[in-house]
Amino acid sequence: MLWKNTRNEWIKITSKIRSYLGIGALTVLIVVVQVALKADGGSFISYVTASFEQTLSFNGKILNGNLVAFIVLQMLIVHVPLLIALVTGDLLSGEEAAGTIRMLATKPISRTQIVLSKWIAAALYTFVMTAWLAFLSLVVGKFIFGEGDLIVLNSSGLNIIASDDLPWRFALSMLIAFLALLTVSTLSLCFSAFAKNSVGPIVATMAVIILFTIIGTLDVTVFDAIKPYMFTTHMAAWRSVFEVPLPWDAVWESIVVLLVHIVVLLGITILRFNKKDITS
Amino acid sequence: MILRLSLFVFLALAHANFAQTSEELLKGVILKINSVKDYKADISIKAEIPFVKVPIAKATLYFKQKDKFKVVSKGIAILPKQGISDLTSFLSNESKYTSLLGDSKTIGDIKTKLVTVIPNGENNEIILAKVYIDPTESLIYRTVLTTKESGTVTVDYTYGQNKKYGLPNKMTFSVDVKKFKMPKSVASDIRNSEKKTKDKKENKGVITITVIGYEVNKGISDDTFKKD
Repeated sequence: MLWKNTRNEWIKITSKIRSYLGIGALTVLIVVVQVALKADGGSFISYVTASFEQTLSFNGKILNGNLVAFIVLQMLIVHVPLLIALVTGDLLSGEEAAGTIRMLATKPISRTQIVLSKWIAAALYTFVMTAWLAFLSLVVGKFIFGEGDLIVLNSSGLNIIASDDLPWRFALSMLIAFLALLTVSTLSLCFSAFAKNSVGPIVATMAVIILFTIIGTLDVTVFDAIKPYMFTTHMAAWRSVFEVPLPWDAVWESIVVLLVHIVVLLGITILRFNKKDITS
Repeated sequence: MILRLSLFVFLALAHANFAQTSEELLKGVILKINSVKDYKADISIKAEIPFVKVPIAKATLYFKQKDKFKVVSKGIAILPKQGISDLTSFLSNESKYTSLLGDSKTIGDIKTKLVTVIPNGENNEIILAKVYIDPTESLIYRTVLTTKESGTVTVDYTYGQNKKYGLPNKMTFSVDVKKFKMPKSVASDIRNSEKKTKDKKENKGVITITVIGYEVNKGISDDTFKKD
């Protein structure tokens, strides 16, 4: 019954126009970034290598599909949560607003299973968005810009990663990005269980992300104790995969923090929905 | 007295015959450089540079007289801006510089003579070049280049099969790496607070180029040097 209901939930998601808004916006954004880099990628490269250019010369194809994919991911991974929350924030509250929640509850399925089936459908939608992001940035990026080593600038300096060392790193980074986005989906689903309209959970989700991101970037010691536990801190963990050597401890820590957030938020959602008065 | 005078005259003449001037030492080197019309070299580049982590890169180096030079690499290869081909092309034009003979110095087990080269004009990138030459084989074993833009570049040369052309099989570059300025936009790494690298002191980077194989004077088309 759970899987049957999940199928129904998936059909509901795919039949809504707003579900395609995210995919459409993602496509337009990635194409715009790729066209811009094709036209003037040189300035970005000099921005990365500027500190070293007086003494060193960088030879080879620096602007390649891997670098473009990395740039696209870096630019969009912050904005994709909004596109996902647009759909997942509506899953429970949308039913309540439309008055279909009572009809859903009459089915021979527990309330926990209703939440789980909606969460699985949300996870599937999040996966589709992540996969689409990966496809456009990596596959289309490589088609337009070709193969090559990846040059990454981070706080430890400049990392150059050989192209044959990149496929597993991109796969792992997309997996972490998926977990980060799934946390956002679960958060919006959680808010959705508390709300009676669609807009509230979407706005609340974005407000939490913005608030936590600002706290995370503030270099104030008073927040140091909570920063490691905020999911927004670990949403950028996909970037750590492109460090040499790979900081496995930090990556695992981020995966665990994100998974804990997903489990706790899903638990709260189930508890709330089970106690929710849907008769009024 | 006559015997002493004769001995002095003999020694003075002998010194004049066997001690090479800076121009002669450089001429020997240039002669070897000019014997190479072109070459293609497969190289491996190992870069140990502060704030830069880079795997060993494979590349192909093309050179054609007088100053055509190109590096083709599949991946990203980091090379020093100065010191690969610019010194030899600079030395080839004798009217462009003044040279002075300096002290002897033993590099490894090779006795070398120091020739200091000062450009005549002001427009050269090289401000001063110290060239350590093995006078017996006319080979450069070390150069210390002081440049306008790139600071000081020290290059140590090791020779193998292509000694007769003056082509080294290993070059070790020691370059000044300027203070690494991290763009603010990348300062938001997760563990940024743990490893602040802002304002690190100036450091030395070492780039080692090992030549896997040379193809000398086989002819290289000018099209090879056209920009991609």
